[in-house]
Amino acid sequence: MTATTIDPTDPIAGLTSPEWGGFDPSRTEDAGPAAAWRGFRAAVRLGWQMEANWTDPLLFFIYSVAKPVSAALILVVMLQIISGGTDATYRGFVVVGSALWSMVVAGIAGLAWSVLDDRERYRMLKYTYVSPADFMTHLLGRGVARVAVGAMGAAITIAIGILVLGVPFDPAAVDWIALSLVMALGIVAIVAIGVMLAAVCLQTRQESWSYPEAVAGALFLVSGAVFPLAVLPAAVQALGLVNPLTWWIQGVRTAMFPGGVSSIGGPGSLWTQVTGSASPDGTTTVLVLLVTGSLVTLVGTMIFRISERRARDRGLLDRTTGS
Amino acid sequence: MSVYEFRHSASPQAASEWTRRQIVMTDLRSVGGRAYPRINGMLREPSWVFFEILLPFLATSAFVFVYRALQAPPQYIGFVVLGGAMTAFWLSVVWMMASQLYWEKAQGNLELYFAAPMGFMAILFGMAVGGMVMTSLRASVVLVVATVVYGVTFEVDQWFLLIAVFLLTLAALYGLGMVLASLYLVWGREAFQMNQVFIEPVYFVSGLNFPVMSLGLVGALAIATIPLAVGLDAMRQLAFVGSPFPPGTPSVEVETLILVAMSIGFTLVARVMLARLERMARREGRLSIRWQ
Repeated sequence: MTATTIDPTDPIAGLTSPEWGGFDPSRTEDAGPAAAWRGFRAAVRLGWQMEANWTDPLLFFIYSVAKPVSAALILVVMLQIISGGTDATYRGFVVVGSALWSMVVAGIAGLAWSVLDDRERYRMLKYTYVSPADFMTHLLGRGVARVAVGAMGAAITIAIGILVLGVPFDPAAVDWIALSLVMALGIVAIVAIGVMLAAVCLQTRQESWSYPEAVAGALFLVSGAVFPLAVLPAAVQALGLVNPLTWWIQGVRTAMFPGGVSSIGGPGSLWTQVTGSASPDGTTTVLVLLVTGSLVTLVGTMIFRISERRARDRGLLDRTTGS
Repeated sequence: MSVYEFRHSASPQAASEWTRRQIVMTDLRSVGGRAYPRINGMLREPSWVFFEILLPFLATSAFVFVYRALQAPPQYIGFVVLGGAMTAFWLSVVWMMASQLYWEKAQGNLELYFAAPMGFMAILFGMAVGGMVMTSLRASVVLVVATVVYGVTFEVDQWFLLIAVFLLTLAALYGLGMVLASLYLVWGREAFQMNQVFIEPVYFVSGLNFPVMSLGLVGALAIATIPLAVGLDAMRQLAFVGSPFPPGTPSVEVETLILVAMSIGFTLVARVMLARLERMARREGRLSIRWQ
């Protein structure tokens, strides 16, 4: 008897019975990067279908942009009421910050809700878990689909900000390479935080649906998304400076709007007091984002593995709850 | 003897012939029974203290700091704190009222509710009562903590009216929740997606962090249709007496009347919609369809 060889180009490879009809133990073993990639792609596709195929494309589009655009408008109106909307630079600051934040919320919620969706609604978590695909790879794939939806909303919000709300923007001034780099690093950090929250949701109950928004709301405070960190007490600013999302948002702003308002530096900021510079330059921003993002990724992975083991030990993977 | 204890009847026919008192008592028990898990659930999983008090407080704080960065007048900090506390009720309406029947359907409980000898409105009232008690505690803590931390000063002349407006706002909000719950009865997977659309856009048009009439016509429409908008605006006028509000802001008396009309209207509409949509859902076999 020989193990069946799986063709990586075959979309249903590994799903059918072996030719000889029995159990193939090789399917329970780690099949390497090709199988992980196949599992990831399948999870991304599944995530996208779940996100998008519940309605027609127009309604899906409206749904995708309504949330981030409204979030940006709340801030724009606040700004308008207090300052009369005279400062277009600060308008750009809040529009970009709130647009990027919609990606954070989508990314964090994506992974956590994948756990809750599969456990509470579709009751598939235990089956997914015992399948040959790596559980975390599956969750990452599901999360990526939501990040994509969030990114679409963020892009449209920024476009509305530029075209409708008068945010000053010069495409020639944008540092596209730096923008691509910080976006890539930022998405990794977002997904890592999502992994941590997925680990929490493996342990908690159905009311956990609101947790991602709550965590994102708390991080919102220390990320300099819509106001400079300088207005916060020094201890809270320090928290902000170890948060990769702070550096991601700063990096995107620096790349898109060179010379604009900094969320990290400025008069009264901890950064300026400690380093003596007005704001971090592009290279520093990327390096700190890389370091803090790597730390969050390591910690997130570790917490997830601990949570996964605890959930398995205590039978939480197939527990459904209601309230 | 416990009100939930099973009592024998003489025959199946006798069991089906209920007096008015029996019907009312059963419905009241159903209200209590449905409210119980929500209230008692708070004690079973204390993680909500962190996730639903501390974190929302931090989210509210973010908007406080936006106003501080803009050097806004102090009453705007108060507007944000009050708005932040009221978001707990809106989230409760969206997640724990509107989508609850959808969850019940997904979990297979909905058929049991319909098969049980009780009015379905009693179930909705039970959900609302449990949600109000649970959320009031959360909102109160956020309000008190944020008030102390950010030094918000309330200037209230009419405490009785403020409490009345708050209670009416809850009645209108949960009435709307019952209407939405009826709608969600026939919805499938889109119900969950709609929850997302009901959060930030509603926060925006309800003037969560600023006087709603700053939005002009959109604000006026929100006052006429969304309990959160009208209730929050009335409470702000009562809690921050002397603060300037945009021209065209309706008086508290008018807003109170709107809330009364909403409370009655939404409850009646929920009753009618529930009956109609239940019939439709039965006809189309949607009560037991899951995962679509």
